[in-house]
Amino acid sequence: MIARSLLAAILVLAPSLLRAETLVTALSTERVSIESNFTGSGVVIFGTVERDQQTVARGAPYEVVVTLTGPLRPMVARRKERVAGIWINRTSSELPRVPSFLAIATTAPMADVAGNPVRARQGLGFDMLPTRGLPDALPPIRTEFDGAFFRLMQKEGLFSLNEGGVEFLSPQLFRAPIALPSNVPIGWYTATVYLFSGGALLAKTTQDFSILKGGFEQAITNLAHRQPALYGLATVVVACFTGWLAGVAFRRD
Amino acid sequence: MDLYLPIAEMPMNVFLLLGMGAAVGFLSGMFGVGGGFLLTPLLIFSGISPAVAVASVSSQIVANSASGVLAYLRKKTVDLKLGLYLTLSGIIGSAIGVWVYGALRGVGQLDVVIALCYVAFLGTIGMLMAVEAVRAIIAKQRGTPLPVRRPGQHSWIAGLPLRVRFHRSRLYISALPVITLGAAIGFLGALLGIGGGFIMVPALIYLLRVPTTIVIGTTLLQTLGTMAFTTFMQSATNQTVDVILGLALMVGGVVGAQFGARAGQSLRGETLRLLLGLLVLAVGLRFAVDLVAKPEELYSISRMGGS
Repeated sequence: MIARSLLAAILVLAPSLLRAETLVTALSTERVSIESNFTGSGVVIFGTVERDQQTVARGAPYEVVVTLTGPLRPMVARRKERVAGIWINRTSSELPRVPSFLAIATTAPMADVAGNPVRARQGLGFDMLPTRGLPDALPPIRTEFDGAFFRLMQKEGLFSLNEGGVEFLSPQLFRAPIALPSNVPIGWYTATVYLFSGGALLAKTTQDFSILKGGFEQAITNLAHRQPALYGLATVVVACFTGWLAGVAFRRD
Repeated sequence: MDLYLPIAEMPMNVFLLLGMGAAVGFLSGMFGVGGGFLLTPLLIFSGISPAVAVASVSSQIVANSASGVLAYLRKKTVDLKLGLYLTLSGIIGSAIGVWVYGALRGVGQLDVVIALCYVAFLGTIGMLMAVEAVRAIIAKQRGTPLPVRRPGQHSWIAGLPLRVRFHRSRLYISALPVITLGAAIGFLGALLGIGGGFIMVPALIYLLRVPTTIVIGTTLLQTLGTMAFTTFMQSATNQTVDVILGLALMVGGVVGAQFGARAGQSLRGETLRLLLGLLVLAVGLRFAVDLVAKPEELYSISRMGGS
């Protein structure tokens, strides 16, 4: 009895004895601060593929995909229709949990890195990212509103796909620079690195970093959100003072 | 030089903001109107969300009207009692406007309502002003003075109850049209991000028969009170007032207004009214074209329940 359960345990553990690659990744920064002169920034994701003598030999080269995902937000997509001669929003669709920012960088065209079933399970790629619910074995069903969402997010520069954006510096070491546009949303970001070979996912790491407003900008935002009445009052006082100052400065009588 | 706007959460060129403020301030100083009806669309067209644009412009209007009110108070051409009636009713209208604004934004119909209101009000007022100014110019050239309606001849408004005496304006009229007018302007101000001076001034002159000398100062007082309240309300409920954006517009605006006022003095009254009428009409037409023409992009995305 004991021998049989031991055997079962060994059989379960056996694949992990034949070691797969491990990924070690690092970010060039852990915190991006938005100051008054902010016009965009960037972050670089570095990584190495660690392997030793036990690691199985791979027939295919390593392929890496890096995604940088911004805070998840509920969004609405709307479609205009002509009603009584004017164009107004008629139909809409809610996208309850979608990233406010998504940059994808790869070593090769997405279709060559991994097949649809593998990517669907990870929700990896604009065509596989679920807009409702969690990633599934099947690719998500896309409505016209989902299509518009991905198109408009790319147009605003918040979603981007850079095939070839991950560069191997040596057989093991890679880097992926990702640009952060000036309209980048504030909040917590997750950098996820996927390691593929021959279409199979070998390893995956995630790392968090934050994009925050700088001291003065954050102080104003905090005041506006935590003390809205005081903020409103202060704004009115500033406005009245500016008006008074101008009246005095340009007084002609 | 770009300046990051903390509430709008986007950078904008500071010289562009100062320039827009100055250009609109110049026109407002020239025509004696607040200019919110020009500034709010300008900001929306340059990429700032309508929520932040409407709310932040209200703070700029406060600064502009504050410097104006001071000048008219020194000249003693403000009817404080009439201004108080208009301001208090304006505050009620503004509170309703801020609420309607939030409700429309929630169902995604804010943009079309703003556009329709701009078309309706700017179209009507612009047309009336332009026609009136052209008639005045023609009459002047022919040398036949227009028939002037005497202040004593009141219309149906005179028959309304709850009469109140406004000494400074030499009026004894019902409080009902005064309150309705104030509330309507306050409502539109909050909803559209305009001071409403270009509606208030003709309404006071032609409907309530307030003496022309008193009208501008009293209108500015009402604009100051209502817009200060709107700024406060938008901050407190929607948290969409960007003080940095507002400040940049204020600085440009108050400087531009001084030069505009000087330029306005060298133009004749009818010419001024014709130009303002055409300008108002042009902004209204711009919105009308956007509503009627098939948009290039039928879809839009926004954060649920927000900007």
